[in-house]
Amino acid sequence: MTATNPTGRVYDRGYRPYDGELGGRSAARLALFKASVRRALGIRRSWRQKLFPWVLLAIATVPAIVNVGVAYITRGRFEDTIEIITYREYVGVSTALLVFVGLTAPDVICPDRRNRVLPLLFSRPLTGSDYVAAKVGAVAAIVFAFGFLPQVVLFVGQMLVSDAALDYLTDNATVLWQVPLAVAVLALYYASLAVAISSFATRRIVAAAALLIVLLVTSVTAAIVTEGGSGSTAWAAVNLLNNPLQIRDLIFEGQISPDADLAGVTGGGALALGVYLVVVGGSLATLLWRYRWVET
Amino acid sequence: MAALLEVDDLTKTYDGTVRALDSLAVSLEPGVIGLVGANGAGKSTFFRILLGLTRPDSGTVVVDGIDVGLDPIGVRTRLGYMPEHDCLPTDQSAADVVSMLGEIAGLPARAARQRASDVLDLVGLDEARFRPIEGFSTGMRQRAKLAQALVADPKLVLLDEPTAGLDPQGRHEMLDLVRRLGTFGISVIMATHLLDDVQTTCDQVVMIDAGRLVASGRTEELLHTTGVVRVDTAGRGTDLLAALAGREATLLADGTVEVPVTGDDDLDAIVAAVADAGLPLHGLTSQRSSLDDVFLADHAAGLT
Repeated sequence: MTATNPTGRVYDRGYRPYDGELGGRSAARLALFKASVRRALGIRRSWRQKLFPWVLLAIATVPAIVNVGVAYITRGRFEDTIEIITYREYVGVSTALLVFVGLTAPDVICPDRRNRVLPLLFSRPLTGSDYVAAKVGAVAAIVFAFGFLPQVVLFVGQMLVSDAALDYLTDNATVLWQVPLAVAVLALYYASLAVAISSFATRRIVAAAALLIVLLVTSVTAAIVTEGGSGSTAWAAVNLLNNPLQIRDLIFEGQISPDADLAGVTGGGALALGVYLVVVGGSLATLLWRYRWVET
Repeated sequence: MAALLEVDDLTKTYDGTVRALDSLAVSLEPGVIGLVGANGAGKSTFFRILLGLTRPDSGTVVVDGIDVGLDPIGVRTRLGYMPEHDCLPTDQSAADVVSMLGEIAGLPARAARQRASDVLDLVGLDEARFRPIEGFSTGMRQRAKLAQALVADPKLVLLDEPTAGLDPQGRHEMLDLVRRLGTFGISVIMATHLLDDVQTTCDQVVMIDAGRLVASGRTEELLHTTGVVRVDTAGRGTDLLAALAGREATLLADGTVEVPVTGDDDLDAIVAAVADAGLPLHGLTSQRSSLDDVFLADHAAGLT
């Protein structure tokens, strides 16, 4: 008589249907947004791809840490707290943010074209505008986080090393809305422009180079035009590299900074705002045009 | 049975000159359906219209009761799509890609991960699911593409040339998977130019040529008997021809003989003739038309 082993069974699980609810366009948009954020941060990717964004965040945070450290060491020695960098200057001053955008935006856009993933994405409940919103939103969200977190470190650190934390908070209450607004404006500008330029390339390096060329060419052009003139000229507004910093100044000071190229130009603030809106609006319109074939 | 797909007077022209679909009209029941046509016959355009990615010049397409023109998003929640070309991000694992595409199809994150695991297991990639896709063979990539099409439990899966680039073993396994989908209650439209694949896999067939409908119907109805039997007498076909003198018989190159028949009496007469001539009867098979015959016959009829 042979003993049987009741545990030794093999089951063919076959196919199990899904009986839950499926989300629609908003769920698809959110899922693509999350996937793009994960990709940009190197999550579920190799350690080399993880290294880059976090090193850049660390670099962007260094000025805040140095500033807080100096304030801590010198506290009580001077009447005023020593500030190496102000909140206004810290918005977008780090080249790390620009490098991050230049490498991240192509990375979340170009592989979709290069690997021909778009037909898979658009065979799902996703339209062209959803795709644009998810991709621009993802890059903008990360740029915002990477621009805002060092500011939080700076603010909290300064507050803790100050003689009276509550007084520091009330004295600097305005930056609590100025900083997030200015960083958000900067993030939207960089993200929309970088993603729009990247949408024309299939190779990441080409897209990154194209973005830097656009920013540098407009910057150099503006410099040549303003240097050649006798004084401030409205042509300084074509400097796309500088534009978000002029908007930042409008947010912090209510006017173009006196040392800016647009200073002294009548209606310089409105001009800078107009260029900002044209760049962001034009970039988003370009993206919607690029993905119009799946618009429904 | 309620129609899975109803297509009426569907026409699509590119650049005003190239007519990809020409007044296509067909009604299909749920099941495994073969969409047959040569390269450029309009198969991919038909899929793009089904997915709402291309608007037709005229005509309507209704999938599972939903008009594609009126609610393309609603239709896409019911469809899975496997393109012919490579389409997966190669630097990610199959599990991550299928899970991500499941989420974009509307699955909650946890369900997407679970179903990604299930469907990768179903297509035979359970052990390879955490490996980057760039290391996959052609057959594994085809399976991963099929898995992403299934992850959100679609009612209908559109497969564009699913056996393209596969070796005979891989092709056999892919067709076996397609057949199994039908048993799971998932309808399939498989676009291919390989009639053998359709004949062995699909229960319905739609044939198109230059955007026009050539033939459609249930496979077994299209593959009717031809009224010819093939007699195998172990290579002694010449002797059999002599024994069947008076009948319209044809000796084939492999030594077998084809004989037209009209009924059972003819079959009895052939068997008696073989026995009388002292020949060994190794086989007597009724010849059925192949889809090639149907396609060529209807194509020729359309040209006249």
